Parts: sequence; C-alpha cells; structure tokens
Amino acid sequence: MANKGELLLEMNKVAKRFGGAIALKGTDLKIRAGEIHALLGENGAGKSTMLKILAGVHDNDGGTIKLGSKDFLTGSPQQSIAQGIAVIYQEPSLFLDLSLAENVFIGRQPKKGAVIDWKFAQTESARLFKELGVELDPKRQARGLSIADQQVVEIAKALSMNANIILMDEPTAALSASEVERLMTVMKSLKAANKAVIFVSHRLDEVFAISDYITVMRDGATVSENPVGDTNLQKVIKDMVGRELTDLFPKTEHKIGEVVLEVNDLTNPAYFRNISFKVKKGEIVALAGLVGSGRSEVARAIFGIDKYESGAVKVKGEILPAGSPVLAMKRKIAFIPEDRRQQGLFMVAGVNRNISMESFDSLTDRGLINFKKEKSLTDIWRDKLSIKFVNQADPVDRLSGGNQQKTVLAKWLATDPDLLIVDEPTRGIDVATKAEVHRLVDKAAGEGKAVLMISSELPEVLGMADRIIVMREGRQVAELSRAEATQEKIIAAATTGKKSA
Amino acid sequence: MNFLRRLKPSSREASLALILIVAVGGTGLINPRFLTGDGTRDLFTSTSVVALLAIGIAPIVIMRHIDLSISSTVGLTAWVVADFCAKNPDFTWVQCFIIGPVIGIAVGILNGLLVAGLRLPSLVVTLGTLYIVRGVVYVVSNSVDYNAQEMPPSLLDLGQKVFFGVMPLTFLLVIIAMLLMGFFMKYTKAGRDAYAIGSNPPAADLVGIKVFRRTFLAFVFSGFMAGLAGVFYLMRFAQVDSTAFYGQELAVVAAVVIGGVTIMGGSGTVVGAVIGALLVQTIQGGLAALGVDAFWKAAVNGLLLIIAIYADRVLAVRSEKSLLAQRIKERV
Repeated sequence: MANKGELLLEMNKVAKRFGGAIALKGTDLKIRAGEIHALLGENGAGKSTMLKILAGVHDNDGGTIKLGSKDFLTGSPQQSIAQGIAVIYQEPSLFLDLSLAENVFIGRQPKKGAVIDWKFAQTESARLFKELGVELDPKRQARGLSIADQQVVEIAKALSMNANIILMDEPTAALSASEVERLMTVMKSLKAANKAVIFVSHRLDEVFAISDYITVMRDGATVSENPVGDTNLQKVIKDMVGRELTDLFPKTEHKIGEVVLEVNDLTNPAYFRNISFKVKKGEIVALAGLVGSGRSEVARAIFGIDKYESGAVKVKGEILPAGSPVLAMKRKIAFIPEDRRQQGLFMVAGVNRNISMESFDSLTDRGLINFKKEKSLTDIWRDKLSIKFVNQADPVDRLSGGNQQKTVLAKWLATDPDLLIVDEPTRGIDVATKAEVHRLVDKAAGEGKAVLMISSELPEVLGMADRIIVMREGRQVAELSRAEATQEKIIAAATTGKKSA
Repeated sequence: MNFLRRLKPSSREASLALILIVAVGGTGLINPRFLTGDGTRDLFTSTSVVALLAIGIAPIVIMRHIDLSISSTVGLTAWVVADFCAKNPDFTWVQCFIIGPVIGIAVGILNGLLVAGLRLPSLVVTLGTLYIVRGVVYVVSNSVDYNAQEMPPSLLDLGQKVFFGVMPLTFLLVIIAMLLMGFFMKYTKAGRDAYAIGSNPPAADLVGIKVFRRTFLAFVFSGFMAGLAGVFYLMRFAQVDSTAFYGQELAVVAAVVIGGVTIMGGSGTVVGAVIGALLVQTIQGGLAALGVDAFWKAAVNGLLLIIAIYADRVLAVRSEKSLLAQRIKERV
C-alpha cells in the first residue's frame, strides 16, 4: 500500500504516432497516491491514447513511464493489470451474458485446485459491492444493468485486482445527477484508501468539484498541470482551447412566432404520463430532469419511434399520427438522438452519404442519385458547420466525436425542418465544439425553427433555453421561463417534484 | 453424485430435456418399438456422430465463431483411417483411435491459425477449409471405396458393443465427453473465458484474456472431435467413400442451436447441444414412424431450427421486459 502523496506514476515526454499521424508528442503526467487527478483536453488532444498506453493496449514510441521507482512495462492489458493499473472505459466493457461475480473476476478467476472457486468469487464480489454502497446480487446476469451499476461492477473489478491506479474515461458521461454523486462518493473512498484516480471528463463543474489536480492536454502534449486551488475554469478552458473562449452559450434573442409543436396529455404508462407543452417558432424549449425521467421517451414518441397510449401530438395545428417517423419527417420534424454512434449515424458510411441520407429526394434525377448534387450538398454543410474531414467519403467512424455530432446536425438541418428535436446534443464532445453546437442550435432557432432540446447538463439548459420543462419519474413537474430558472429550482423540481421558491 | 450435481442444468436444458421426453413419448405412442430397448439403442447409435461433433463445435459457437469444416474432416479421417487399415491388416481399433484424431487436429490447427492468428472471420475460413479438405478427400481417395472386410474387426466389434441392451459404446463415449466438457466449460478458467470471448469480443482483449490461445485451442479441439467422429462414422457404417458425411455440417450447427447455444455467442451449454442432437434425431424417427415421406426430413429440420430461434427470441424479450420492470420498480 502506497503512502499518501507518494509518486505512483510519472510520464515523461511520452510520444506515440500511428502511421503518419502524431497522437502524442510529449506528454507529462505525475500521479500521486491518494489523489484524484482530472485529465482534460479537447477531443483529439491525446487523452484516450495516453489512457490506452497505460492500459497496455498501445506501446509508447518515445519518452519514459515510471511506476514508483520501477519502469512501466508496456505490451499487453495483462501486464498493465499485473502492474496495478485498472481502466474503466467510457463504454463499460462488461460481459452481459455472464454473472456479476464472473465479471468482477474475469481473467483472474479464483481457483480451488483446477476448478474455479465460485463461492469465493460470489462472497468477495458481494463484499466489494457493499463497500461501494450498491448491493447488487453477484449471481445476477450483467444484462439489464444500468450504466451506473455497470460502472460499479467495473470499479469492483478494479478493487478486486488491487489496483493502485484507476483510470476512468468519461465515467459520468451517461450518468444522472444522483448517480454522479454516488460515483463521486466512491472516488473519494478510493482516494481515502490512498489509491490514485485519473479521470477524463468534459463536465468541468464536476472536475472542479472533485479533483485535486488538473492536467490539461492539447494537441498531444501536456499544457498545464496544477493543483485545483491554483487554477480556475477560465484558465482551464483557455489551456484546452488554446485561446479565450468568449461564450460557451451564444444565446441570442429571437422573435417568437406561432406554435409549431403542441403536445396534449401524452401518456405511455411505462415511461411518462400527461405530458402537455407547446414549442413555438424561434423558441428553444428544454426538457430537463434526471436520466430515466422519461424525457427521451417523450421525444421518441413525438417523432413516432415509440407508440403512446393516449394524448395527441399536433404539428402546426394538425394532428400528427402516432408511430411513424416517416410521417413525422414529412411534417418537417428532425430528431437528433442522444446516441449518435448507434442511432444517429451510419458509422462505416462516408460523411457525404450520412449528410445526404435524409435529403435523397432533392438529390435525385429521375429516381437515381446525382452524386454531383450530393457532393455540393456535403460541401455546403461542411462550410456552414465547419466539419473537419479529409475526403467526403471518409467513414464517419474516423471523425472525432464533435465532428460526428456536427455531421448528424448537418444531416437533419439539410432537410430544413420546422421542428428540431435534439437529445443531449453535446454529450461527450469538447468545450469548443460544444460552443459551436450551441451556436448552431441558436442559429436554427434564429431562422425560425422550433427547437426542443433534452439535456442533462444544467448550464446548457440554463444557457440556451427560452423555457424549461422539468420532468420527474415520467411526470411534468415544473415549467420555468428563462428569467425565473435557476440551477437550484431545476434540481429541486427534478429530484423532489416540488417547485421551490 | 457431487460431480453430477455440479453440472446442475439450467432451466433451459431442463425444458429442452422435457421437450425431448415428450417427443420420445409421442413417437412411442405411434410406434411402440421406439420405446423398446432396440428403439432406444437405435436412437443413440444414429445420434452419436452428430452429438460428438456438436460437443466439438459448441465451445466455438459460444465464442461467437463457427466451424463449417467438420463434415469434410469427418470424411477425410474416415477415408484415411480406412485406407491405413486396408493397407495394414494388423491394425486394430487402437491405431484407428490414434490416426483419426491426429488428422482432425491437423485440420483444427490450420483453422485455428487462420482464425485466431490472422484474425480472419471463422465463417469464411472454415467455409474455405470445408472445400479444401473435401477436395483433398477426392484427390487422395481417387474413387476408391472401402467396405467392412477391409476394416479391423476389433473396430467394428466396438461399434456393435452395447451395454445393458440400450447403451452403445459410442454413445457412452459421447456422454463421457459431454460430462467432461460440460464440467470444463463451467468450472475452468479456459471454459469461462470462452463465454466471455463470445459475449463481448473487444472487451475480452481489454481484460487480458488470452484470446488467441483460447480461440486456437477451441478450433484444435473441434478438429480433434471431428477426427474422432470420423472413426465413429466407420464404426457405425463400416464403409466409406469420398462423399462420406458430405454436407452435414449445418445439421450439426442446427443441433447446437436447437440445443440452446446462441449463434451470437456467450451462452449455451454442451449438455444442451447433445440434447439438441438427440431431439433432431427423435423427431426424424417420429416422422418416419408417422409414415411421413423421408423427403420431408430436411424441411422439418429447418422448421425445427426456426422454432428454436424463435423460442430464444421470445425468452430474450421476456427477460428483457422483466429486467426493465425490475429497474422501474427499483427506481420508485
């Protein structure tokens, strides 16, 4: 067991290139026992590459890495695990068919003679879950666990292998506020046990709330490393972006016009009940609430992906029949889902094909696609949204998260919708691109589109929305105007259902 | 017995066994001979080759791979073993049980290196080796067939050996292999790693599972079992030509899937695979007893396969729903 403050990991001028592309060109990082260390940087700054080197997925081609006084041995995930490094990936890498106990001990199953000691695996997992404050049944299958609980299993796994250094890649990206709180408690207890926690996050409020040190990376190199007390939000953002970021929420005033979307008493008992609201031309309405409060389900029902039991959706005064995205699109609704990789994009298809996907009708000549038109459409939207890619046919898989999100936006904006529904539009993208996405959403509203935005990030909700509807456990519990909304009021409504003063 | 209790079947195998019993009973109602010692023995004898292969490929399917080359390997080993015996009259069953598995292992090593070493998709690799190995059979056999008189009497005797009037030696070996493999898959690290690899292949790499070694050895094991099945083939039919066991690979895959091994990997058991093989055979016997034209055999097999997949889907949807309900309840 390391003593508090002891240097556990020291990376010096670490470099890595993939073919011609330089991913890291001189990364320094110092991690001490008993500290929570935030690793910040824009998408593509090299954070993931660095984590993967420590995880044993990649070798570094330059620089030195020391674990305490010993050299770090790169090469394989087994080797990293043996050296006390555990990685919790952004997308939990559990085995859904296996039991939780098995997941905790996978690759290191306890043995009694030649066979696995299941009893020990189960009691030990139960003990770890309890220690982490979440009493999951170790015999239960991993399938069906929430993301937050899956993370708990991952953390239990890290503890069971007695890791000294625990790396977490965007652990809070998919968590609700209460789950984030629970994770922070766990992180603090790891810290108290003199372990080192390195975590990557794009949610800067959390970073300042919990970390002891902040290291900022940009373009594959470390830009700054400071105790949290010696830095501030402005400085960190400046280090990440490389310039002053003037405005994260470039909200402008628009003329609010007639009602575009009217939702009346919409009910699907499994997810939401009696939801009624309106969105007007030029207006941004936010649906706030905890993850799982039914916000996404309402949006999916409006767009016709899921059916609802009763109630009605009207677009420009006319009823929109339920259960048909095709009809919804005909009525000029665009829906940008929260999971861009699974639902928003065709990851192996080119940028051009993705952008033109919903606009085929305008690109065809006598039923056949005119590729010249597709090319110019792609060019137009690349310029409008400053999407960065090399060739139009590059699979979107190769773009950064921010550029992927802009591609989804381009696809739907190209259909010139009257109503734009965006679900978590800035999840997992860096602060500069966030500002850009916000500007684009604001611009869309300025052009007279109605915008319905779902977001779990309160600063985003407060910064962008004209009106805020708060949901809790499937019910609409508060409606706040831009002027009266505060962080406290939204949280109070989202967690207790009561509108506080 | 402690050993048996440890293999405690999941509800999935239990319900399959129940379906099997119903099918056997139903067939027995139409044709009482089916329930006699002779009938049972025939069922076991006719299932043993497919069941042995099912045990061989079950771990591969659990790892989200497939081995289509097995039927060609059965043909190759059966012919080569017969050839060796014809040219060496002093050979007994012992040599057969060595030569067969060795040939099978050789094919398994080839498959394993291509799939695990080069990380090529197993569907395509083993489709390739299916044709290659069968091609080799055509070339080396040069249209020569072998019959009972060229085979070691000791081998054919073993093929006829029956315990208690119902249990042929071949199927007893199948049961032993099933128990050993069932235990191995459930209680050893290698077995559990196989489930992990099939459940989430990229994550298996990240948690430090030796994916290459496990995958390679699974293909070697499947080759070994196919080699053994080639010898079983000779014991049962006492004759072989270059088309022996031609095109039977998908029947084995079907038995495994009917037995509850998910084609997407990560779940299923060896015991289920063997029950699946028995079930397919029983239903064939039942159709014959009903006087259904043998031409319908293939179509019924296909129907059975689709029913099995549908049952899986229904179960999956139901468990998903109950998990969702549980989560909603936990939240409130």
